[in-house]
Amino acid sequence: MPEPKVVLFLAAFLFCCGVYGVLSRRHLIMILMSLELMLNAINIMLVTFSRHWAGKNHDMLGAHAGQFFTLMVMAVAAAEVGIGLAIIVALYRRKHTADADAATDLKN
Amino acid sequence: MIVVFWVSFIVALVGSALLITQKHAVYALLGLLIAFGASAGVFLSLDAPFIAVSQILIYAGALAVMFLFVLMFTDTRTDEDTGLPGAVGSRAVFDPATGRPAKKKKKKKADEEAKPSPFSGLVMPKPMAVAVSLALLVCFTAAIVTLPSGFNRFGPLPSAYDGINFEGVERSADQIKSDPNLLPFGSTEAVSRTIFEGFPLAFEVVSLLIFAAVLGAVLLARRHLVGIPGTQDVAKESGHA
Repeated sequence: MPEPKVVLFLAAFLFCCGVYGVLSRRHLIMILMSLELMLNAINIMLVTFSRHWAGKNHDMLGAHAGQFFTLMVMAVAAAEVGIGLAIIVALYRRKHTADADAATDLKN
Repeated sequence: MIVVFWVSFIVALVGSALLITQKHAVYALLGLLIAFGASAGVFLSLDAPFIAVSQILIYAGALAVMFLFVLMFTDTRTDEDTGLPGAVGSRAVFDPATGRPAKKKKKKKADEEAKPSPFSGLVMPKPMAVAVSLALLVCFTAAIVTLPSGFNRFGPLPSAYDGINFEGVERSADQIKSDPNLLPFGSTEAVSRTIFEGFPLAFEVVSLLIFAAVLGAVLLARRHLVGIPGTQDVAKESGHA
Protein backbone atom coordinates (compact mmCIF):
# COMPACT_ATOMS: atom_id res chain seq x y z
CA MET A 1 0.00 0.00 0.00
CA PRO A 2 1.19 3.52 -0.71
CA GLU A 3 1.47 5.95 2.15
CA PRO A 4 -1.56 8.25 2.53
CA LYS A 5 0.57 11.36 2.64
CA VAL A 6 2.23 10.52 -0.67
CA VAL A 7 -1.14 10.05 -2.33
CA LEU A 8 -2.37 13.30 -0.84
CA PHE A 9 0.72 15.04 -2.17
CA LEU A 10 -0.01 13.66 -5.63
CA ALA A 11 -3.54 15.05 -5.38
CA ALA A 12 -2.20 18.42 -4.22
CA PHE A 13 0.27 18.51 -7.11
CA LEU A 14 -2.42 17.69 -9.68
CA PHE A 15 -4.67 20.34 -8.15
CA CYS A 16 -1.95 22.97 -8.37
CA CYS A 17 -1.25 22.00 -11.98
CA GLY A 18 -4.95 22.61 -12.62
CA VAL A 19 -4.80 25.97 -10.85
CA TYR A 20 -1.81 26.95 -12.95
CA GLY A 21 -3.60 25.91 -16.13
CA VAL A 22 -6.72 27.89 -15.25
CA LEU A 23 -4.67 30.96 -14.39
CA SER A 24 -2.27 30.90 -17.31
CA ARG A 25 -4.36 29.78 -20.27
CA ARG A 26 -6.74 31.90 -22.30
CA HIS A 27 -8.17 29.22 -24.52
CA LEU A 28 -11.52 28.30 -22.96
CA ILE A 29 -11.13 24.59 -23.68
CA MET A 30 -7.75 24.59 -21.98
CA ILE A 31 -9.32 26.27 -18.95
CA LEU A 32 -12.03 23.61 -18.84
CA MET A 33 -9.44 20.84 -19.14
CA SER A 34 -7.46 22.30 -16.24
CA LEU A 35 -10.68 22.44 -14.22
CA GLU A 36 -11.17 18.75 -14.94
CA LEU A 37 -7.67 18.05 -13.66
CA MET A 38 -8.53 19.87 -10.43
CA LEU A 39 -11.71 17.83 -10.00
CA ASN A 40 -9.69 14.70 -10.65
CA ALA A 41 -7.25 15.68 -7.91
CA ILE A 42 -10.18 16.09 -5.53
CA ASN A 43 -11.35 12.60 -6.51
CA ILE A 44 -7.97 11.15 -5.62
CA MET A 45 -8.10 12.91 -2.27
CA LEU A 46 -11.63 11.63 -1.56
CA VAL A 47 -10.68 8.04 -2.38
CA THR A 48 -7.59 8.33 -0.19
CA PHE A 49 -9.62 9.46 2.80
CA SER A 50 -12.20 6.78 2.04
CA ARG A 51 -9.49 4.12 2.19
CA HIS A 52 -8.06 5.70 5.32
CA TRP A 53 -11.45 5.58 7.03
CA ALA A 54 -11.95 1.97 5.96
CA GLY A 55 -8.74 1.05 7.75
CA LYS A 56 -9.99 2.58 11.00
CA ASN A 57 -13.71 1.84 11.09
CA HIS A 58 -15.25 -1.23 9.55
CA ASP A 59 -18.61 0.16 8.52
CA MET A 60 -19.67 -0.07 4.93
CA LEU A 61 -21.51 3.25 4.60
CA GLY A 62 -18.84 5.38 6.22
CA ALA A 63 -15.99 3.72 4.40
CA HIS A 64 -17.60 4.07 0.99
CA ALA A 65 -18.97 7.57 1.45
CA GLY A 66 -15.79 8.99 -0.08
CA GLN A 67 -16.15 6.76 -3.12
CA PHE A 68 -19.79 7.77 -3.42
CA PHE A 69 -18.77 11.43 -3.39
CA THR A 70 -16.21 10.63 -6.05
CA LEU A 71 -19.00 9.31 -8.25
CA MET A 72 -21.00 12.46 -7.54
CA VAL A 73 -18.02 14.62 -8.52
CA MET A 74 -17.69 12.63 -11.74
CA ALA A 75 -21.37 13.22 -12.55
CA VAL A 76 -21.10 16.93 -11.78
CA ALA A 77 -17.92 17.15 -13.85
CA ALA A 78 -19.64 15.49 -16.79
CA ALA A 79 -22.58 17.90 -16.54
CA GLU A 80 -20.21 20.84 -16.22
CA VAL A 81 -18.19 19.84 -19.25
CA GLY A 82 -21.35 19.36 -21.28
CA ILE A 83 -22.61 22.84 -20.44
CA GLY A 84 -19.14 24.41 -20.72
CA LEU A 85 -18.45 22.93 -24.13
CA ALA A 86 -21.90 24.00 -25.34
CA ILE A 87 -21.13 27.55 -24.20
CA ILE A 88 -17.78 27.39 -25.98
CA VAL A 89 -19.46 26.21 -29.19
CA ALA A 90 -22.03 29.03 -28.91
CA LEU A 91 -19.28 31.58 -28.27
CA TYR A 92 -17.26 30.26 -31.18
CA ARG A 93 -20.28 30.55 -33.44
CA ARG A 94 -20.67 34.22 -32.56
CA LYS A 95 -17.07 35.36 -32.15
CA HIS A 96 -15.17 32.81 -34.25
CA THR A 97 -12.72 32.33 -31.43
CA ALA A 98 -12.53 30.26 -28.25
CA ASP A 99 -10.43 32.84 -26.46
CA ALA A 100 -11.64 33.87 -23.02
CA ASP A 101 -10.83 37.52 -23.74
CA ALA A 102 -13.23 37.61 -26.67
CA ALA A 103 -16.26 37.25 -24.44
CA THR A 104 -16.57 40.89 -23.42
CA ASP A 105 -20.18 41.56 -24.37
CA LEU A 106 -21.18 42.19 -20.77
CA LYS A 107 -18.30 44.62 -20.25
CA ASN A 108 -19.15 48.34 -19.84
CA MET B 1 0.02 -2.64 -5.61
CA ILE B 2 2.86 -0.41 -4.54
CA VAL B 3 4.38 -0.80 -8.03
CA VAL B 4 1.06 0.16 -9.62
CA PHE B 5 0.93 3.20 -7.39
CA TRP B 6 4.42 4.47 -8.11
CA VAL B 7 4.07 3.96 -11.86
CA SER B 8 0.73 5.83 -11.74
CA PHE B 9 2.33 8.52 -9.60
CA ILE B 10 5.08 9.23 -12.13
CA VAL B 11 2.74 8.98 -15.11
CA ALA B 12 0.23 11.35 -13.49
CA LEU B 13 2.95 13.91 -12.87
CA VAL B 14 4.09 13.62 -16.48
CA GLY B 15 0.52 13.88 -17.79
CA SER B 16 -0.34 16.97 -15.79
CA ALA B 17 2.95 18.58 -16.78
CA LEU B 18 2.07 17.87 -20.41
CA LEU B 19 -1.34 19.45 -19.91
CA ILE B 20 -0.02 22.72 -18.58
CA THR B 21 3.03 23.06 -20.83
CA GLN B 22 1.81 22.01 -24.25
CA LYS B 23 0.79 24.83 -26.53
CA HIS B 24 -1.24 22.70 -28.88
CA ALA B 25 -4.62 21.88 -27.36
CA VAL B 26 -4.73 18.32 -28.69
CA TYR B 27 -1.36 17.50 -27.09
CA ALA B 28 -2.60 19.05 -23.86
CA LEU B 29 -5.71 16.86 -24.09
CA LEU B 30 -3.40 13.87 -24.51
CA GLY B 31 -1.66 14.90 -21.30
CA LEU B 32 -5.03 15.15 -19.56
CA LEU B 33 -5.91 11.65 -20.80
CA ILE B 34 -2.60 10.33 -19.46
CA ALA B 35 -3.27 11.97 -16.09
CA PHE B 36 -6.78 10.47 -15.99
CA GLY B 37 -5.50 6.99 -16.79
CA ALA B 38 -2.82 7.30 -14.15
CA SER B 39 -5.46 8.41 -11.65
CA ALA B 40 -7.35 5.22 -12.42
CA GLY B 41 -4.16 3.36 -11.49
CA VAL B 42 -3.99 5.30 -8.23
CA PHE B 43 -7.61 4.34 -7.48
CA LEU B 44 -6.77 0.68 -8.19
CA SER B 45 -3.84 0.82 -5.77
CA LEU B 46 -6.17 2.37 -3.17
CA ASP B 47 -8.53 -0.65 -3.30
CA ALA B 48 -11.20 1.20 -5.28
CA PRO B 49 -11.62 -0.87 -8.45
CA PHE B 50 -15.15 0.36 -9.15
CA ILE B 51 -14.03 4.00 -9.03
CA ALA B 52 -11.06 3.14 -11.23
CA VAL B 53 -13.29 1.64 -13.91
CA SER B 54 -15.74 4.55 -13.65
CA GLN B 55 -12.82 6.92 -14.02
CA ILE B 56 -11.75 5.29 -17.27
CA LEU B 57 -15.31 5.06 -18.58
CA ILE B 58 -16.43 8.60 -17.70
CA TYR B 59 -13.31 10.71 -17.78
CA ALA B 60 -11.05 8.99 -20.27
CA GLY B 61 -13.91 7.65 -22.36
CA ALA B 62 -16.66 10.24 -22.41
CA LEU B 63 -15.14 13.56 -21.37
CA ALA B 64 -11.99 13.26 -23.45
CA VAL B 65 -13.99 12.41 -26.56
CA MET B 66 -16.27 15.40 -25.93
CA PHE B 67 -13.24 17.65 -25.58
CA LEU B 68 -11.78 16.24 -28.77
CA PHE B 69 -14.99 16.87 -30.69
CA VAL B 70 -15.23 20.46 -29.53
CA LEU B 71 -11.56 20.96 -30.33
CA MET B 72 -12.37 19.86 -33.86
CA PHE B 73 -15.40 22.17 -34.04
CA THR B 74 -13.54 25.23 -32.86
CA ASP B 75 -10.30 26.95 -33.69
CA THR B 76 -7.51 25.72 -31.50
CA ARG B 77 -5.01 28.25 -32.78
CA THR B 78 -6.23 31.10 -30.62
CA ASP B 79 -4.10 30.00 -27.70
CA GLU B 80 -1.27 32.12 -26.49
CA ASP B 81 2.12 32.34 -28.13
CA THR B 82 0.93 31.14 -31.50
CA GLY B 83 1.34 34.56 -33.07
CA LEU B 84 -2.29 34.44 -34.15
CA PRO B 85 -5.16 36.49 -32.71
CA GLY B 86 -5.27 36.10 -28.99
CA ALA B 87 -1.53 36.05 -28.49
CA VAL B 88 -0.21 37.45 -25.24
CA GLY B 89 0.50 41.15 -25.37
CA SER B 90 -1.63 41.75 -28.42
CA ARG B 91 -5.02 42.33 -26.86
CA ALA B 92 -5.89 44.92 -29.49
CA VAL B 93 -6.28 42.24 -32.14
CA PHE B 94 -9.96 41.97 -31.23
CA ASP B 95 -11.93 44.46 -33.25
CA PRO B 96 -13.90 46.38 -30.61
CA ALA B 97 -16.83 46.96 -32.98
CA THR B 98 -17.53 43.33 -33.76
CA GLY B 99 -15.68 41.58 -30.99
CA ARG B 100 -14.15 39.32 -33.57
CA PRO B 101 -10.46 38.92 -34.14
CA ALA B 102 -9.01 41.41 -36.56
CA LYS B 103 -7.35 40.25 -39.74
CA LYS B 104 -4.48 37.94 -39.16
CA LYS B 105 -1.10 39.53 -39.41
CA LYS B 106 1.19 38.08 -41.99
CA LYS B 107 3.90 36.06 -40.36
CA LYS B 108 7.34 37.46 -40.66
CA LYS B 109 9.60 35.59 -42.98
CA ALA B 110 12.23 35.28 -40.30
CA ASP B 111 9.73 33.39 -38.16
CA GLU B 112 9.08 30.87 -40.87
CA GLU B 113 12.71 30.27 -41.62
CA ALA B 114 13.73 30.11 -37.99
CA LYS B 115 14.80 26.70 -36.83
CA PRO B 116 12.12 25.17 -34.58
CA SER B 117 13.53 24.94 -31.10
CA PRO B 118 12.66 21.94 -28.92
CA PHE B 119 10.68 24.29 -26.70
CA SER B 120 8.60 25.76 -29.49
CA GLY B 121 5.65 23.55 -28.62
CA LEU B 122 5.61 24.69 -25.01
CA VAL B 123 3.86 27.61 -23.42
CA MET B 124 5.99 30.24 -21.76
CA PRO B 125 5.40 30.10 -18.00
CA LYS B 126 3.41 32.99 -16.60
CA PRO B 127 5.20 34.31 -13.49
CA MET B 128 2.12 35.23 -11.51
CA ALA B 129 0.35 31.96 -12.24
CA VAL B 130 3.51 30.03 -11.28
CA ALA B 131 3.76 32.01 -8.05
CA VAL B 132 0.13 31.44 -7.09
CA SER B 133 0.10 27.73 -7.86
CA LEU B 134 3.49 27.17 -6.19
CA ALA B 135 2.26 28.99 -3.08
CA LEU B 136 -0.83 26.78 -3.07
CA LEU B 137 1.34 23.68 -3.44
CA VAL B 138 3.54 24.79 -0.53
CA CYS B 139 0.45 25.36 1.63
CA PHE B 140 -1.00 21.97 0.73
CA THR B 141 2.32 20.22 1.33
CA ALA B 142 2.69 21.89 4.72
CA ALA B 143 -0.84 20.78 5.62
CA ILE B 144 -0.11 17.22 4.48
CA VAL B 145 3.20 17.02 6.34
CA THR B 146 1.59 18.16 9.58
CA LEU B 147 -1.18 15.56 9.41
CA PRO B 148 -1.38 13.39 12.55
CA SER B 149 0.60 10.18 12.64
CA GLY B 150 -2.56 8.20 11.97
CA PHE B 151 -2.05 9.14 8.33
CA ASN B 152 1.33 7.52 8.08
CA ARG B 153 -0.11 4.31 6.69
CA PHE B 154 -3.46 2.79 5.80
CA GLY B 155 -5.08 0.47 8.29
CA PRO B 156 -6.09 -3.10 7.46
CA LEU B 157 -9.34 -3.73 5.63
CA PRO B 158 -12.16 -5.82 7.09
CA SER B 159 -12.03 -9.34 5.83
CA ALA B 160 -14.94 -11.74 5.67
CA TYR B 161 -12.63 -14.71 5.79
CA ASP B 162 -11.24 -14.45 9.28
CA GLY B 163 -14.74 -14.51 10.74
CA ILE B 164 -13.87 -11.85 13.27
CA ASN B 165 -15.25 -8.38 13.07
CA PHE B 166 -13.47 -5.22 14.08
CA GLU B 167 -14.25 -5.57 17.76
CA GLY B 168 -12.84 -9.06 17.80
CA VAL B 169 -16.17 -10.82 18.29
CA GLU B 170 -16.53 -14.17 16.61
CA ARG B 171 -19.41 -14.56 14.20
CA SER B 172 -21.22 -17.39 12.56
CA ALA B 173 -21.01 -18.00 8.84
CA ASP B 174 -24.54 -16.72 8.28
CA GLN B 175 -23.83 -13.51 10.14
CA ILE B 176 -20.72 -12.94 8.07
CA LYS B 177 -22.64 -13.56 4.88
CA SER B 178 -25.33 -11.00 5.74
CA ASP B 179 -23.04 -8.37 7.25
CA PRO B 180 -22.59 -5.53 4.75
CA ASN B 181 -19.68 -4.22 6.78
CA LEU B 182 -17.66 -7.23 5.72
CA LEU B 183 -18.19 -6.75 2.00
CA PRO B 184 -14.92 -6.41 0.10
CA PHE B 185 -13.85 -2.77 0.24
CA GLY B 186 -14.46 -0.88 -2.99
CA SER B 187 -16.32 -3.74 -4.64
CA THR B 188 -19.26 -2.97 -6.88
CA GLU B 189 -21.70 -4.46 -4.39
CA ALA B 190 -20.37 -2.39 -1.50
CA VAL B 191 -20.39 0.85 -3.52
CA SER B 192 -23.88 0.25 -4.90
CA ARG B 193 -25.25 -0.62 -1.47
CA THR B 194 -23.69 2.59 -0.19
CA ILE B 195 -25.42 4.55 -2.94
CA PHE B 196 -28.87 3.00 -2.59
CA GLU B 197 -28.93 2.44 1.16
CA GLY B 198 -26.98 5.47 2.29
CA PHE B 199 -27.49 8.27 -0.21
CA PRO B 200 -30.50 7.52 -2.44
CA LEU B 201 -31.69 11.14 -2.44
CA ALA B 202 -28.33 12.47 -3.68
CA PHE B 203 -28.38 9.85 -6.40
CA GLU B 204 -31.80 11.03 -7.60
CA VAL B 205 -30.77 14.69 -7.43
CA VAL B 206 -27.75 13.96 -9.58
CA SER B 207 -30.01 12.38 -12.20
CA LEU B 208 -32.02 15.62 -12.22
CA LEU B 209 -28.79 17.60 -12.55
CA ILE B 210 -27.67 15.60 -15.55
CA PHE B 211 -31.10 15.95 -17.14
CA ALA B 212 -30.95 19.72 -16.73
CA ALA B 213 -27.39 19.78 -18.05
CA VAL B 214 -28.35 17.82 -21.16
CA LEU B 215 -31.27 20.16 -21.85
CA GLY B 216 -29.07 23.21 -21.28
CA ALA B 217 -26.29 21.92 -23.49
CA VAL B 218 -28.69 21.18 -26.34
CA LEU B 219 -30.30 24.60 -25.99
CA LEU B 220 -26.97 26.43 -25.85
CA ALA B 221 -25.34 24.67 -28.75
CA ARG B 222 -28.34 24.87 -31.08
CA ARG B 223 -27.87 26.90 -34.18
CA HIS B 224 -31.39 28.31 -34.44
CA LEU B 225 -33.24 29.38 -31.35
CA VAL B 226 -36.59 29.40 -33.10
CA GLY B 227 -39.50 30.81 -31.17
CA ILE B 228 -37.53 31.70 -28.08
CA PRO B 229 -37.82 35.43 -27.44
CA GLY B 230 -34.70 37.33 -26.56
CA THR B 231 -32.35 35.04 -28.44
CA GLN B 232 -30.83 35.95 -31.73
CA ASP B 233 -30.73 33.83 -34.80
CA VAL B 234 -27.01 33.37 -35.06
CA ALA B 235 -27.12 31.74 -38.46
CA LYS B 236 -29.04 34.66 -39.97
CA GLU B 237 -26.71 37.14 -38.36
CA SER B 238 -23.59 35.59 -39.81
CA GLY B 239 -25.17 35.38 -43.24
CA HIS B 240 -25.54 31.63 -43.61
CA ALA B 241 -29.32 31.50 -43.57
